[in-house]
Amino acid sequence: MFTPFAYIQPGSVEDVVTALGDKNAFIHAGGTDLLGCLRDDVFSADKLVSLSGLKDISGVSETSDGGLVIGALTTITDVAEHPLIQRKYAGLAQAAADVASPQLRNQGTLGGNLCQKPRCWYYRGDFDCLRKGGYKCFAVNGENEYHCIMGGANCFIVHPSDPAPALVALDAEVAIVGPGGRRRLPVSELHMPPEKDPTRETVLQDAEVITAIHLPPAAAGRYSSYRKIRTRRSWDFAVAGCALAFDMEGDQVRDCRVVLAAAAPVPWRSREAEEVLRGNTLNDGNIRAAARAAVADARPMSNNAYKIPLFEGLLREEFGKIVSA
Amino acid sequence: MTESEQEIEGQVRYPQAPDAGAAGDPQPWGEKTRVVGSRQPRVDAFERVSGSAIFPSDVMLPGMLHAAVLTSPHANARVKSVDTSKAEKLSGVYAVISRNTEDANPDWDYGSDYPGKLFYDHCRFEGDFVAAVAADSSYRAHDALRAIEVEYETLPFVSDELAALESGAPEVHDGGNEAGHQSYSRGNIEQGFAAADVVLEETYRSASEMQTPLEPHGCVARWEADRLTVWESTQGVFAVQSKIAETLNMPLARVRVIGHYVGGAFGSKLRTDKYAIAAAMLSRRSNRPVKLFMTREQTLVSMGNRPPTTMTIKAGAKKDGTLTAIQFKGIGASGAYKAGGTSLLDWLAKDLYQCDNVSTELTDVYINAQPARPFRAPGYVQCSWAMEQMMDALAEQLDMDPVALRLLNIPDGTQARGNKPYTTDGLRLCIEQGAKAFGWDQAKAAPRGNGHLQRGVGMAAANWFVGDGGPPSTVILRLYADGTANLNMGASDIGTGTKTVMAMVVAEEFGMEPDAVQIEHADTATTQFATPSGGSKTVPTEAPAVRRACLAAKDRLMDMAARQLGRERDEIIFAGDRLRTADGLESLAIPELDELKKQKVVVGVGERQPNRQDVSITPFAAQFCEVEVNRRTGEIRLLRMLGTNESGRVINRLTWDGQVIGGITMGVGYATTEQRVLDGPTGKLCNRNWHDYKLPTALDVPAEIISEPIMLSDEQANIVGAKGLGEPVTIPTGGAIANAVYAATGIRMRDTPINPVTLIDPLASQEG
Amino acid sequence: MCASKRSQDQGRQSGATSGDRFGFTRREFIKSWSAGGVALAIGHNAMAAEVKQPNEALAGDEPVQLRLNVNGKSHAVLVEPRWTLLSVMREQLGLTAAKIGCERGECGSCTVLVDDLPRYACMVLAVEAEGHRIETAEGLVNGDQLGAVQASFMKEDGLQCGYCTPGQVMAAEGLLRHNPNPSFDEIRRGMSGNLCRCGAYTNIFTAVADAAVLRKG
Repeated sequence: MFTPFAYIQPGSVEDVVTALGDKNAFIHAGGTDLLGCLRDDVFSADKLVSLSGLKDISGVSETSDGGLVIGALTTITDVAEHPLIQRKYAGLAQAAADVASPQLRNQGTLGGNLCQKPRCWYYRGDFDCLRKGGYKCFAVNGENEYHCIMGGANCFIVHPSDPAPALVALDAEVAIVGPGGRRRLPVSELHMPPEKDPTRETVLQDAEVITAIHLPPAAAGRYSSYRKIRTRRSWDFAVAGCALAFDMEGDQVRDCRVVLAAAAPVPWRSREAEEVLRGNTLNDGNIRAAARAAVADARPMSNNAYKIPLFEGLLREEFGKIVSA
Repeated sequence: MTESEQEIEGQVRYPQAPDAGAAGDPQPWGEKTRVVGSRQPRVDAFERVSGSAIFPSDVMLPGMLHAAVLTSPHANARVKSVDTSKAEKLSGVYAVISRNTEDANPDWDYGSDYPGKLFYDHCRFEGDFVAAVAADSSYRAHDALRAIEVEYETLPFVSDELAALESGAPEVHDGGNEAGHQSYSRGNIEQGFAAADVVLEETYRSASEMQTPLEPHGCVARWEADRLTVWESTQGVFAVQSKIAETLNMPLARVRVIGHYVGGAFGSKLRTDKYAIAAAMLSRRSNRPVKLFMTREQTLVSMGNRPPTTMTIKAGAKKDGTLTAIQFKGIGASGAYKAGGTSLLDWLAKDLYQCDNVSTELTDVYINAQPARPFRAPGYVQCSWAMEQMMDALAEQLDMDPVALRLLNIPDGTQARGNKPYTTDGLRLCIEQGAKAFGWDQAKAAPRGNGHLQRGVGMAAANWFVGDGGPPSTVILRLYADGTANLNMGASDIGTGTKTVMAMVVAEEFGMEPDAVQIEHADTATTQFATPSGGSKTVPTEAPAVRRACLAAKDRLMDMAARQLGRERDEIIFAGDRLRTADGLESLAIPELDELKKQKVVVGVGERQPNRQDVSITPFAAQFCEVEVNRRTGEIRLLRMLGTNESGRVINRLTWDGQVIGGITMGVGYATTEQRVLDGPTGKLCNRNWHDYKLPTALDVPAEIISEPIMLSDEQANIVGAKGLGEPVTIPTGGAIANAVYAATGIRMRDTPINPVTLIDPLASQEG
Repeated sequence: MCASKRSQDQGRQSGATSGDRFGFTRREFIKSWSAGGVALAIGHNAMAAEVKQPNEALAGDEPVQLRLNVNGKSHAVLVEPRWTLLSVMREQLGLTAAKIGCERGECGSCTVLVDDLPRYACMVLAVEAEGHRIETAEGLVNGDQLGAVQASFMKEDGLQCGYCTPGQVMAAEGLLRHNPNPSFDEIRRGMSGNLCRCGAYTNIFTAVADAAVLRKG
């Protein structure tokens, strides 16, 4: 049950930014993740600043250069079902379709999804963990089957988002408004690696708000996809996932992005796999080599070494689909 | 028999005439029935689909407060002090109870061996009660919980049942962690293995699975002077009544328990828990009605589980497939108090297949975790996981078809319960007809597939030892002057369709439609005694009593007709909804009976008679499964499942099929998605919500689930010919899935659950 | 049949009526700025302005007056900002079809329609629900006549204990309003946000397919 909080519903982004200046204020977009955290006593809020009074930060529109702008308050359902996204940025539509459940997709927003808190059961549970300002990561000696195999350092969460890896693969950027004005940031730089600060999920400054997600024009012949493995086929977070964006010339890979989900505390771009494939033929040997390269540097914990063959198998399957596409 | 076995069996055997086959008993219905056997929508479907059904958690009373419970966050801790002063001062808070409020802290025991209190100084498991509050909203109740300061002394704990048995393990109770030990043997096990051509030995593990019904555990309590009324989400109102009366030292007549609807239970609501006592105490202190429902997290932490189990089976067979020896060793964890950690765990090993030489040994273990509760086919589900995989492995070693091997070893009767013959050949029928309906031979012969997607089929069979039902049960039928009826019975309808089945029995007897039957049930003050609905015994217990009540009422109507028509009593027969003379010359509709018009109502009382003691009345099941495994990712797709059940007469085909579908779905969770995870270093539950504890969703069940009932009436069982169904439907699912995965991959998955996390490593090892 | 259509129309009508007070109809309001094919319904503070002023913080410990449109009826309620739509419906409006299963968006037994879209009422703050059209299972019933989805659940026995059922019904209702001709896979996906521990999914799929036909009736 939530502790008491004040609530405000400003009518402009500027007013939102001002309201967020108050002590212990949180943004309420769709609210699905925020209310879950408050319900779990992960943290408490003194004030919720609702974005539901903002009129101009939802919806999908084409830009003059052939890219797309997706308002931050666009629901996950609308991202998943938008014909333009399905056609030109299939990986994002697929990722959105795999998020949570229909009801949560109807409520959760793309901006909120990028900023969500991890699902680690120590973070969500009654444990005084590093990410909550506590003293250690309980996953290290604990039940870590769903934790990371890369990029852990001091906190071993995996990033819970499905759309985030897809957006990284598609070279997307977020538009941010804050007390210091407006700025743009690649999604690949949005998430905070735990070794820099284990208590924050994003590099957003205090009182900054994501207002839109910008997708650059997709090259002709662009293949993009998202694939998620989970122990339950709906309403579950990935135990392994991958977002791909490939620009092909015949069976040659002109350029590519390989981004892993549920591998690391942030969406994890596998430059190792990309390097094997970029400029090369997408044949069985290269596919195997790339899949292996993606997990070569993995450092599994006591209970999650299974993720290594899982990512390898997953990538082999997904690379293989590009050939037959 | 352990306490929990008695609880499952829930019946007392009286030395009376048996329910079937006694002199003067009514004729069986025969093959031609009018209502029985049809597909009848539930008599309370409108309430359930419209949202107008009032579940206990929906009950709202004037002035009602909302309660919340503070529970111990530690696996094992002493409560040194509780300071509730800040909580008491919060606005909207009406009552706070804890160990400090002596008049609201009655004795409570988790079994007679353990003295304790509602709020006890020693919390041996995470989730035991520390304090409770009542406030004017659930939000404020939780605010108050946050304001309570508790000082704990944490103690060493043990949360793994195998570690608990090691020397030097922290003791949950003084005197070691063994909570119970049972053994059984027949024949000579050594000779049995010596006679075998093939002997296999394997160890299987079954993770703890949690019931987590959709409606949390809880109740609403209200006092009127010294009389207490409780609306509780329960499988059995009388069981709740007696526990509350005993705990609060009250006469039964001052405790009324009502449970018209229950939002799922699966064994976890067979009895009440501390919450009912806490609600009553808070209500008394606040002089207000109090609603106390546990939070979802609390239901996962402390409201029941199927115990984690380790099972070693050694089995021997001759080349021709004859089983010569079965040795079964099982270890299961009761939790912090004795709660049936190995309850019924060896029954399938000793009673499913014909085998002369069997030995079993069960060790029940204390761990610092919530006490187990019966969970749909306790013990059987776990044993089936092991036993039916072992049969599959034996078949492969013997180069036999798994169906053929089982058919070779069908027993004629129970071997572990006094060599009594079964009343039907149900096991054979289920396996044979199931295999045929599934297309087993073709499916098994079909290629696995040549890419990384490979398919396979598997099957498993089962019986269940309390599908016979029995006394006590009393039912009263009132027939109104217009020919409609009121049925009064104490049993709960936990979603299995009990009310509908009973209405159909009445409708069959009186030639009416089921919706002409009004049902009054599950209220200790106004309905007749019934044992809790569980153990697959509700239909075979209640339906014969209902039929007897109908027959008693019919008897009186026939008396009336005889007098009215001036005929001898034996000239009157019931034909559909009319009473007519045997010569066919005269007939009367029920509302035309003059005496009934004056009297307004006729009452019939029915009592469940004991079962025959010379036979074993047992339901049987078999399930067949086809899966597709993605060898690269370990993903399993359940393509189809088929369940055959012999539970005697099918009374309502619609709810029968619903049970089969539901049992298979629950088995899918057991086999593929569910597993309790206790944190090693702290003993605390990691997956305490439904994101982390994964019930199967609409996308996890097979696209096709077929129910293929064996159509027969078990006339030796009771006067309706029906046996229990609710548990047999879920027993074989896990084994059938595991065997299908083996057929697809060649990998024997010995531990539950099977999913990408557990399957990818063995798949990768196969690839080399 | 079917009752559900009727109640849907009633809902629209009274939604329009309450919108008129603010100078536009609900539908126009949505149309004026919503994106994509589905009506989005955020940014409703203009409608709510008469009750709570934009940019004026509501204190955490003081109840605030709201107007909620539930099943076509407008209700004035007094709530704390932290109260969920589920709490308010159940405890203040006495509408208990939406059930408490988890209060954290993990079971679906509190599913309601918000502007025709299924949502978990336990994950919606009441203050955020103002200005939107809320529908519960009670709203699909007309006297003793069930809505098409409910009638199909009854006929196909898409339930056992019935606790998750009103939520399942609303998820199905929302699915069919959005997609009147769902394929089997679309039905499964559409119903994959509602747990049924009794395991009635298979019958629920049949019921939803049946309801799709019945709704066209």
